[in-house]
Amino acid sequence: MNDNRKDFLKMSIKDAFFQPRVLIVDDEVRIQKVCRRLLAEEGCDVESAENGIKGLKMIKEKHFDIILLDLMMPGISGLEVLPDIKAHHPDTVVIVITGYATLEHSIETMKKGAFDFLAKPFSPQELRIVISKAIEFIRTLQDIATEKSRMRVMINTLSNGVLTTDNQKQIALANPAFLKMIGCRKTSVIGHKVSEFIKDSKLLDMIDQAIHQSEEIFTEITDEIDMTLSKDEETMTIGIRCIPFRDRLNRNLGSITVFNDVTALKKIDQLKSNFVSMVAHEIKSPLNSILMQLKVVLDGLAGELTEKQKEILQRSSDRIKSLTTLSSELLDLSKIESGLINQEREELNLIELINGLVEFYRDKAASKSIILTVEKTKKEIRMMGNRTNIEEVVSNLISNAIRYSPNGGTITVLADEKSDCAKIMVSDTGIGIPKDDLNHIFDRFFRVKNETTRYINGTGLGLSIVKSIVDAHHGTIEVESEVNKGTCFSIYFPKSEYKI
Amino acid sequence: MSEKQLILVVDDDPDLVEAVSMKLESLEYRVAKAYDGEEAMEKIKEEKPILVILDVMMPRKNGWEVCDDIKNNDTLKNIVVVLLTAVADSVKTTSYTHHDGKTTLADDYIPKPIDLDKLMEIVQDHCR
Repeated sequence: MNDNRKDFLKMSIKDAFFQPRVLIVDDEVRIQKVCRRLLAEEGCDVESAENGIKGLKMIKEKHFDIILLDLMMPGISGLEVLPDIKAHHPDTVVIVITGYATLEHSIETMKKGAFDFLAKPFSPQELRIVISKAIEFIRTLQDIATEKSRMRVMINTLSNGVLTTDNQKQIALANPAFLKMIGCRKTSVIGHKVSEFIKDSKLLDMIDQAIHQSEEIFTEITDEIDMTLSKDEETMTIGIRCIPFRDRLNRNLGSITVFNDVTALKKIDQLKSNFVSMVAHEIKSPLNSILMQLKVVLDGLAGELTEKQKEILQRSSDRIKSLTTLSSELLDLSKIESGLINQEREELNLIELINGLVEFYRDKAASKSIILTVEKTKKEIRMMGNRTNIEEVVSNLISNAIRYSPNGGTITVLADEKSDCAKIMVSDTGIGIPKDDLNHIFDRFFRVKNETTRYINGTGLGLSIVKSIVDAHHGTIEVESEVNKGTCFSIYFPKSEYKI
Repeated sequence: MSEKQLILVVDDDPDLVEAVSMKLESLEYRVAKAYDGEEAMEKIKEEKPILVILDVMMPRKNGWEVCDDIKNNDTLKNIVVVLLTAVADSVKTTSYTHHDGKTTLADDYIPKPIDLDKLMEIVQDHCR
């Protein structure tokens, strides 16, 4: 063996951040001495015993990391001592020293829990190798234990509830936050079936879905459930995210579910929505009334008007109209956000829905000589959704496309389906969206501001409404755009496999 | 037309009532005004208008109730009822705009914000 290798081995033992405690149990004084010297040099804390009985006594008194155990000793043999050691300290690494290293013996000692064996006579180098292997093993075990403890402390201190199950839906881990959420006072739920503690069928269904998710896909299943612990307590709204976890071969080992109590958030959101809704209503009525009065004046019912007066009144009237649109959209938004969106989902035929809306917008498009077409892929595409909301989404995208297209453009609406999702696409040959603005188009009240958009009316709420609806349907929306070339919005809704 | 036809305008917003009235008067109709549901019922019974322009959201008695009272009363049921619905308040889509007014016994409806010209067309259609 060359020097480099020697150095490496030396280092690997001495580097250990703990000093391994080693016990040598051997009746041969010579071997005891040699091992003591060698291991002490390597930084181990070494003790020795000359027979099995004395060795066992020492083991019962204190913990050793490694025990070098001779098999052939007077009194009790190493083979008899071995089970006793394991019974007292299962984590102690036992290396058997044997004068007759036959295969049978090795297997027998391994079966009884030995980590490795050394055949007599052995060289110092052989001893070093076996010891360093044992230390490596101990260190790995310690690392795993440390990591486990770190994880446990972390998960237990989270304010989010965490529940993991194996693929038989037995609880593998449940943190205090989770137990508190479900009002469970028992401390040992581990190993029990999830269904013993959770009665909510929607949640059980989610866990089931996660465990049985096919290996080609990896989707987070999200939902919200309402939970009431007892009659006197308030209903909690819990946001739930459920995912499978897998081994290296991508097999499902179980599920991880994270629970987030969003009750307070919901309440604040509701307050906000109510406020917006109230303000919008209060603004709307007087605006409508102003519009009517302007109309009466404009119609000349309050006396003759000059052309100039008419023009100014007409402009005021237009501005007020856009204000009323703004208040309508604010109302829409607050309604969508206050949970209206979660009601009444039904199976929709996207093709039919899109055709209806395209017909509705045909005149408006024609007034700007825009060609509005539907690209047909299938006769029907079914999805679960709220009709009014999905109509609102498509309607907003089409009317945007019309507004932001110069005369004579083309708008194409397409619906398609893939194995796991339904797709709606609205593309135009309009003015496009500058790159810097693309990240903001779904923000509330955001509008692209430049020379071309200055004379286009809008509230900056349309797309944020679209986004809210798509989100509530667990869908995604993507946008591609090039200035002066056009814009293309694609929406993907998950298919109805997971019914809400 | 020997005598001007009487139309009752009901809304809790006096400015709106005023504006609609001016427009109606310009088209040679007589106009009666009411500002809530109860008052509307009194005026209807007293003056027997040919047509009522009826707001839905009103204090005391709402438009749906007033409409039902008119249509379920044999002596009043021939009065034409045009509802002012706040349909535009809710999500505005094609399928939505058509249903509210029609599910009641009302003869016609117009969504708010009111397009005065359209309202006049509706009135003229029913008063022919």
